[in-house]
Amino acid sequence: MPRRAVSTAYRIAGFFSISFAVATILLGTAVYLVSHDALQNQLDERIESEMASLLRIYKAGGQSRLVEAVVAREEIRGARNLGYVVTDTSRRRLAGRLNTEIPPPGWSKIPFRDRPESDDYARALSVGLNQGGSLIVAADGEPIEQIDETMISLFAAAFGLMLLVGIAGSYILGSFIRGRLDQLNRAAEDIIEGDLGRRMPIRSGGDEFDRLSTTLNRMLDRIGTLMNNLRQVSSDIAHDLRTPLSHIHQQLETALVSPPGERDRAAVARAIASLDEVLKLFEATLRIAEVEGGALRRSFKDVDLSKLVAGVAEGFAPAVEDGGRSLSNAIKPNIVVKGDRDLLAQALANLIDNALLHTPAGTTVWVELARHNGGPTLSVVDNGLGVPDEERTRLLQRFTRLERSRSSRGHGLGLSLVAAIAATHDAELTLDDANPGLAVRLAFPITGGADR
Amino acid sequence: MKLLLVEDDDETAAYLERGLIELGHSVDRMSNGRDALQVSQGRYDVIVLDRMLPEVDGLTVLNAIRTAHVTTPVLMLTALGSIEDRVEGLEAGADDYLAKPFSFAELIARVNALGRRSTVQEQQLLAAGGRICLDRIKREVSRDGQRVSLQPRELRLLEELMLNIDRVVTRTMLLESVWDFHFDPKTNIVETHVSRLRSKLNAGYSDDPIETVRGAGYRINSFA
Repeated sequence: MPRRAVSTAYRIAGFFSISFAVATILLGTAVYLVSHDALQNQLDERIESEMASLLRIYKAGGQSRLVEAVVAREEIRGARNLGYVVTDTSRRRLAGRLNTEIPPPGWSKIPFRDRPESDDYARALSVGLNQGGSLIVAADGEPIEQIDETMISLFAAAFGLMLLVGIAGSYILGSFIRGRLDQLNRAAEDIIEGDLGRRMPIRSGGDEFDRLSTTLNRMLDRIGTLMNNLRQVSSDIAHDLRTPLSHIHQQLETALVSPPGERDRAAVARAIASLDEVLKLFEATLRIAEVEGGALRRSFKDVDLSKLVAGVAEGFAPAVEDGGRSLSNAIKPNIVVKGDRDLLAQALANLIDNALLHTPAGTTVWVELARHNGGPTLSVVDNGLGVPDEERTRLLQRFTRLERSRSSRGHGLGLSLVAAIAATHDAELTLDDANPGLAVRLAFPITGGADR
Repeated sequence: MKLLLVEDDDETAAYLERGLIELGHSVDRMSNGRDALQVSQGRYDVIVLDRMLPEVDGLTVLNAIRTAHVTTPVLMLTALGSIEDRVEGLEAGADDYLAKPFSFAELIARVNALGRRSTVQEQQLLAAGGRICLDRIKREVSRDGQRVSLQPRELRLLEELMLNIDRVVTRTMLLESVWDFHFDPKTNIVETHVSRLRSKLNAGYSDDPIETVRGAGYRINSFA
């Protein structure tokens, strides 16, 4: 794995250094062409202005004056800068030491030998004279060639330097990245080996690697929580199954030894009923685990909470009344939350169930849905006996039952399922003293003006 | 009815087969998905399909059946009871979904409900020898021509029983169809509502067309 990381880093760094090197070449080429052109033009202008001034002399003073001027120039300037040739109609050289053949009129490139060995080229302008013959002015291109060569070497050197810097940079960058990634890899290996509390290292820089580490750590925390839940669920199930399972065992043993008839049938029926309780326990526990797992959030939709609460409350009303209690509701319309319809219905049903199970006859149960501080709040309040402060916090833990209700129906999971459903809907579950009685509230997150 | 049972666990299959045959249904049993696919083309009234099967799993079989435009109602059985699994099964084309373990009464009630010929389109439902009449559009009930005033939920409850006339409707089925609850509340709201329905429907009468079937559910009959 480390090899792969390095090659990616190298690839990236290599790509960039090659890009810069190519850019250097392109830049160099552009500079070369532009300056070469400029120098060339400069040379041409020099030739042209010289030609113009010589032609003025010729126009004024004729051939003899021209010849004088050419000779004079050659004396003053020295042979290196400009070369001249003046010929007459029969192409006989009249002046000028430029050692070359006579080019046709106009611009041309002529070979010229100012030293016997060298084989240089010059830029020449040839003009036909009015009385016959030609005037040629030429300039040595060598200075330009020298500049060209200098530029090429310079840019070649720059290119080479770029490549070198690129290679060195790739190596440094690669090592750095590999180092950081190795750290993460090592931490991950430790976790795989079993050090489950280990977390990814974070430097204080706050860079991309640190952000990655932070996110990975959050992921590990989440996984840790889920695993703890799982462990807790397993131990809870084991704990709470012992009693009903031993009941079933006893009941079936009774059925086995009883003669066929009422007694054994009754025992078998009780065993089946106990088994059903066990299965309900399983299902409730698994349901809580599934809700806590969070996967259901993916299929959340808009739920008309007003209609849902009204429907559930109305569904319970007759049963509430038959039990000698009363149910009233105050539901604001058009309150919508994002969630799972079935889970929300179950949460409310559990709360109403609890209010019925844990209060005496004559209690009133209120179901309220309203907006508090911008967020929809669902409340189920009873005026029964209430729950002592210390016990209210424990109520939310799995399998906890109030001491006084130990013998009543229900396996104590109802409220923990409500807690799980609240959490997955990002709603805050609170239990408060209703003076008298218990007030259970689900405060949903503030929706951005979702009142339709 | 002619039933196809696809179940790989022999003990469960034997148990179900026995029970179904005793009730007068004919049962073909397959023990894996591949065999099920071969026979499933529209010759059955209801298909009972286990989700976990060897060779080809239940969901795949279901998808294949539906893709082949076989509209036979399918009841899916499964040891997977999670909400997600149920949704998956229903989305794949199952008409009903039952988690194991279940009571036999529950299974048979649902199989019967799936196998019913479409009374769903009829506006008027009749029971007890025609003496009880439920108008589904007007949402009215009358007994011997006299209007019986019912709460919407009570009427819905009666409607569900009458749609499944002569068949047992379990408490779970009622919770699902009348209350849209996919769970079983501790409070017995079904029983309470049935008793209210009874007291209103039977006011002034000595007989009760609604029958409580012990260990199963409730039933209303075409003839008293």
